[in-house]
Amino acid sequence: MPLLDVQNINFGYDQRDVLKDISFQVNKGEIFFLLGPNGCGKTTLLDCVLGLLKPRNGDIQINGTNINGIRPEIIARQVAYVPQSHEKTFPYTVMDIVLMGRASYIGLFGSPSEEDMAIVEESLALVGILHLRDRRYTQLSGGEGQLVMIARALAQKTPLIVMDEPTAHLDFKHELVIMETIVDLVRETGLSILMATHFPNHAFYFENNDIATRVTLMNDNRFLKAGSPTDVLSEENLKLIYNINARVLSYPIDVDHELRQVIPISTNNSGSDRAPKLFDSRQ
Amino acid sequence: MNKTNKKILYVSLVLGPLAFIFITLFIGRYPVSIPVVAQILWCKFTFSSCNLPDIYQTLVWDIRMPRAILGALVGGSLAVSGAAFQGLFRNPLVSSGILGVTSGAGFGAALAIILFHATVPIYISAFFFGGLAVLLSFLIGRVYNTTPVIMLVLGGTIVSSVFSALISFTKYVADPTNELPSIVFWLMGSLASARYQDIVIAGIPMLVGIVGLVAVRWRINVLSMGDKEAHTLGINTKVNKGIVIVCATLATAGAVCVSGIIGWVGLVIPHIGRMLVGNDNRVLIPTSLALGACFLILVDNLGRIITGSEIPLGILTALVGGPFFVYLLKSTKGGGW
Repeated sequence: MPLLDVQNINFGYDQRDVLKDISFQVNKGEIFFLLGPNGCGKTTLLDCVLGLLKPRNGDIQINGTNINGIRPEIIARQVAYVPQSHEKTFPYTVMDIVLMGRASYIGLFGSPSEEDMAIVEESLALVGILHLRDRRYTQLSGGEGQLVMIARALAQKTPLIVMDEPTAHLDFKHELVIMETIVDLVRETGLSILMATHFPNHAFYFENNDIATRVTLMNDNRFLKAGSPTDVLSEENLKLIYNINARVLSYPIDVDHELRQVIPISTNNSGSDRAPKLFDSRQ
Repeated sequence: MNKTNKKILYVSLVLGPLAFIFITLFIGRYPVSIPVVAQILWCKFTFSSCNLPDIYQTLVWDIRMPRAILGALVGGSLAVSGAAFQGLFRNPLVSSGILGVTSGAGFGAALAIILFHATVPIYISAFFFGGLAVLLSFLIGRVYNTTPVIMLVLGGTIVSSVFSALISFTKYVADPTNELPSIVFWLMGSLASARYQDIVIAGIPMLVGIVGLVAVRWRINVLSMGDKEAHTLGINTKVNKGIVIVCATLATAGAVCVSGIIGWVGLVIPHIGRMLVGNDNRVLIPTSLALGACFLILVDNLGRIITGSEIPLGILTALVGGPFFVYLLKSTKGGGW
């Protein structure tokens, strides 16, 4: 049985359709990428899986439980969320923030227990930021802040984590730090991850690291293709979705491994003078 | 904060306000000695009769004591609901009056002063209009079956201005020889009318509100992450927001209806708390409660002794609190803002 099973969901605001007849499954220990242009409905789909929005019809099951109409604390024990950017308000300590991941296990009048504290420390250690526990999270860098958000999601002890462009505002190195952390987490804990991203290379990164990876291309509010990154992220498909010319390069690193990357070359309407030059240099 | 420090903090949060209440029993133009106060307290708490002049008993037990207790309740209520609203609205500039409760209560009191000229109707009317103002703000802020924070703030601003205009209107039509001064003095805030019956009437909503906010204080941390994140962390934001708003409104409306409008406490005491103990509402809410109680008792005592006649509380809270706040801002470097 798949961990996340989305069956034929539709969603829309008033007259405007945002999701049309979408079905997919995410298995245990698998990472599933949503890729597509701005406004194609990625975030809306994530909000449906998180129980924030209610689809017009169709079913979403996590671990065999239909999440339609069940209480938020029940959903929050099955799926956690890592936002694209977290708006920092009060200078809480890192510990205080990650403790909030335990909210679904603590009653209305309750406060976190010693056991919750232990789980939080374990989560901080898993992403390698235990040393930041007493720092004010408003004073952390963007990359450290995002690791705090991942630790908070881990403290929820869910089998599935939903991430919405978790590296959107990060520098070159910290983007890699986040990706490495996620690879380690999936390997060590068998987590499943559903991630929206703008970078096809993220999907290749996980495939290159031998993580069970699937990717779907979304356009016009529906899925066009779904499958392994090698199959789906072809030059033709990228052209279809983004209307760009791109090359997929493969570089062998040992006998049965190769490193794949997408290199964008030009937009379709920027004229043909740029692309041929690059093609020449390849030969 | 480690466990020993936490214990010391919680003990001082209980002892602090009690100490301020005790000191108040000595303060005033009529001096009372320590043995006399001790004897009166002993008689009252053991329900035995005292052989002291009635004047002492009246002064200590019937005038100074209820005033100090009411000051503690009002100061605590305003500070704790201010702290809760700052967390809920994710904005450190918010105070307990953000949803219009103080303007509403002010109008209710002014209306009752014109119509009834009696104390109890003023309490009831102030409390009712304070609650009504919050309800209106909530209804204005409701869109798509949810209440986004920004819409609530907007609702509160609209309702506050409408009730402020209505207060001006009642002043305009009030009899300038007796009603107008009553309204003006009421709006400046005072604990001068404190009797035990006031504590019983207004104390119930204040205590219910305070206890409620203290009970859900950790949830306020989670709510301050914003609706979307709070929901994915597993809490029902609609219900939790409702609980915080109802409790804060009970506390503030209860405070305002007996004391009039006392600004500043609901904004600045939570900040002083943030500088002293940090932003975790588990510690901040009880700290604000105790600081608010101490601060209002202190200011009320100053108001009674500085000049021959009493200085209204609303004036002194800002005059005393302002410089103290600046001092704290400078000495703690703002506490991480």
